[in-house]
Amino acid sequence: MDFFITIIEQGLIYGILALGVYITYKILDFPDLTTDGSFPLGAAVTAALITRGVNPYLTLPIAFAAGALAGVCTGLIHVKGRVRDLLSGIIMMTALWTINLRIAGTSNVPLFSKETIFKNDFLAGLFPDAMGSYSTLIVIVILALLTKVVLDFYMKSKSGFLLRAVGDNEKLVTALAKDQGNVKILGLAIANGLVALSGCIFCQEERVFEISMGTGAVVIGLASVIIGTSLFRNLTFMKATTSVVIGSVLYKACTAVAMKNFEPQDMKLITAVLFLIVLLISMERKKKVKINA
Amino acid sequence: MKTKTTAKVLGAALLTMALAGTTTVYAEEQYTIGIEQFAEHGSLDNCREGFLEGLKEEGIEEGKNLTVDYKNAAADMGTCGQISDSFASDKVDLMVGIATPSAQSLYNAAMDAEIPVIYTAVTDPVAAELADEEGNPVGEITGTSDKLPVKQQLEMIRQMLPEAETIGIMYTTSEANSESAIKEYEALAGDYDFKIETAGITTTADIPLAAQTLIEKVDCMTNLTDNTVVSSLPTILEMANEAGIPVFGSEIEQVKLGCLAAEGLDYIELGKQTGKMAAQVLKGEKKASELSFETIEEAALYVNTAAAENLGIEIPEEMTASAAEVFEEITEAE
Amino acid sequence: MLELKNIYKYYNPGTVNEMCLFKDFNLTVKDGEFLSVVGSNGSGKTSMLNIICGSISIESGNIILDGKDITNAKEFRRNEKIGRVYQNPALGTCPSMTILENMSLADNKGKKFGLGRGVNKQRIEYYRELLRPLNLGLEDKMHVKVGSLSGGQRQAMALLMSTMTPIEFLILDEHTAALDPKTAEIIMELTDKIVKEKKLTTIMVTHNLRYAVEYGNRLLMMHQGESVIDCAGEEKAAMNIDDILEKFNEISIECGN
Repeated sequence: MDFFITIIEQGLIYGILALGVYITYKILDFPDLTTDGSFPLGAAVTAALITRGVNPYLTLPIAFAAGALAGVCTGLIHVKGRVRDLLSGIIMMTALWTINLRIAGTSNVPLFSKETIFKNDFLAGLFPDAMGSYSTLIVIVILALLTKVVLDFYMKSKSGFLLRAVGDNEKLVTALAKDQGNVKILGLAIANGLVALSGCIFCQEERVFEISMGTGAVVIGLASVIIGTSLFRNLTFMKATTSVVIGSVLYKACTAVAMKNFEPQDMKLITAVLFLIVLLISMERKKKVKINA
Repeated sequence: MKTKTTAKVLGAALLTMALAGTTTVYAEEQYTIGIEQFAEHGSLDNCREGFLEGLKEEGIEEGKNLTVDYKNAAADMGTCGQISDSFASDKVDLMVGIATPSAQSLYNAAMDAEIPVIYTAVTDPVAAELADEEGNPVGEITGTSDKLPVKQQLEMIRQMLPEAETIGIMYTTSEANSESAIKEYEALAGDYDFKIETAGITTTADIPLAAQTLIEKVDCMTNLTDNTVVSSLPTILEMANEAGIPVFGSEIEQVKLGCLAAEGLDYIELGKQTGKMAAQVLKGEKKASELSFETIEEAALYVNTAAAENLGIEIPEEMTASAAEVFEEITEAE
Repeated sequence: MLELKNIYKYYNPGTVNEMCLFKDFNLTVKDGEFLSVVGSNGSGKTSMLNIICGSISIESGNIILDGKDITNAKEFRRNEKIGRVYQNPALGTCPSMTILENMSLADNKGKKFGLGRGVNKQRIEYYRELLRPLNLGLEDKMHVKVGSLSGGQRQAMALLMSTMTPIEFLILDEHTAALDPKTAEIIMELTDKIVKEKKLTTIMVTHNLRYAVEYGNRLLMMHQGESVIDCAGEEKAAMNIDDILEKFNEISIECGN
């Protein structure tokens, strides 16, 4: 049971990251490597705030804002500096390593003795002892659900439509008399805000900030997005955001199963194989649909 | 006849009971532990070996009454978390964390599962918030610390290189242990008329360039227990030797590879000490929260005469005489 | 009214490939004019459109729209009052969004794109009314993704979308060139209808001489950055395809083709 709870917890936290990667990768068609830097940015900001006694619930919006700022920088480099999308992300990701170290103060900041969104007096009063071990799961579910719902609401707004348009056909955005560069920057801001939010929650769940926690974050995000969108491609009733979060949970399940049964060294290969199998299965289904049609 | 048979039967019964008794005792004392080692390198491996030795000396041996689930995180934070979670969900009797990131990750996973954690090779348990400022455990977690004997190292370098002025230290910016060690070096260096130059790296790829920069500025170099740097020691040694810059190590393995000398910790001893602490917790003699973390105070001197020859340095005789071990050749890294 | 004054445009200035396209080019388009532009490849037709819209820059000169000098205005700013349909049907719509969503986007041109609902449910019937006269069946496919429509259907949508909100200028850049003859006819009729209904000032670049002759009330033929035919009103009505072709041949011989 614990095994499954952990998978769901990790899957949902990284699900928020996946939502951010979904915006840049699928909607904006912008491969954004800033993620590897903005994920620990959220965590660094959180660690810095919590060790200074700030209310942990405030870290959520502040971390989002920090990530949004990083996204704006990437956007400015790309739009005003005319640097290629991939390169802009790499530049920011590299810069953020130093920035994150400076914000957190050191490369390892433990939060064991501090109050977090998972461990504080308010929650202790709310949950009776028996439910105690589930409180983390419940908080994470609420946060993930809230984030997804807010994002869905945004995507149905006019601004959200414009965001989808700029990734699809930026000439149309210009024809609509809107600055497509600004729209892209907005998209990058929202996406990296989500990624940093995910980092903030992860850091509080792990109760420690480690500078290297972002390495490979974009890969996890992409895997979740691709698994989710491929598997649920044909289900029209399922929103893309839902499938992406489910994809994240599935990806974490794959790695957890690989971890249990194989050596950690082999884990990455096993994960890659599982990932490939999922993709191939979804291709097969696509083919079948084509034949039947 | 009847007495003999009765005796035999009684004897057999007694024997059976005795045997049953022992097997019941064995069946009771089956232990499962999970060992999470952060990275793959000599010092940490020595810790683990020593740890299992220490347990054995206390009667807990793999294969007899102990099952060990050993997982190496290959220096990846994400893997760390997953290993810790899997140990917790397997409900092992004890979790062992080798190096700070593993220890912290295990502690986090253990908090809800109520499994005791023993750590080793954690340079600063207080900074890692695994122990409070008085050295008392913050929970069911305790272990041993491998704090570097900085004072002894500086003394030794001064003795060996009376003319040297600047010491270079390469470290990985993501390792908290290294940061605290450097702070100590910088604090004490002045007492021995030394200046410290540092070069920070992010990954192995940065090492050649960083080494080059350092070599041009310093008279000698010394190592911390920095995982990334130590893994690339042969590269650094090659470059330093070409420039005639001596490199000092922080423990025995590094001297074997060609470092001039080291005031080092014996990681096997450290591991043994940890094993003994673990045995106490496993057997229920003490709870982890009742044991303060321990350190090894004595550093031992290791020298490598072959390296000295290559560098044209003469090691003072009394040093070679007092050394714990003198290596006369440079071994290849495994 | 649109005025192009003293336009100088060099391609690849300062390099070996330097080519002067426009040397002191002038053009005035009055309100209500429907200008057809023809010319050989490289004559500057599309460049002229791009200069008006702001997609490319000029070395010197002025572009004045309704008395306002827009020479230095960014492209997206100019589009507030300009609608444009491209040759490539894919450039006028968003393929991954539905017909309804595309039309909602276009409907919002000139207004703020904030957090209000993207689709105004009350306008859906209005969109259907716009689509019905096309006789392409699009009004029943409001929730179909535009990417799965044919080129002609997408171009029809592009035309509708670019003229949905009040604009002063319509720019058509060979917008029927990529369509089959039947669909091209439909699109041209639609164009004519919309232009007449909304009284739009229009510039249409085309290779199709028949369209150039049949539609519009002014004809411009361009060659090497200059206009070699410019007739309007009755003079234009009197022109036919052979006249244009004759001129084409004239130019070609002159240039030694």
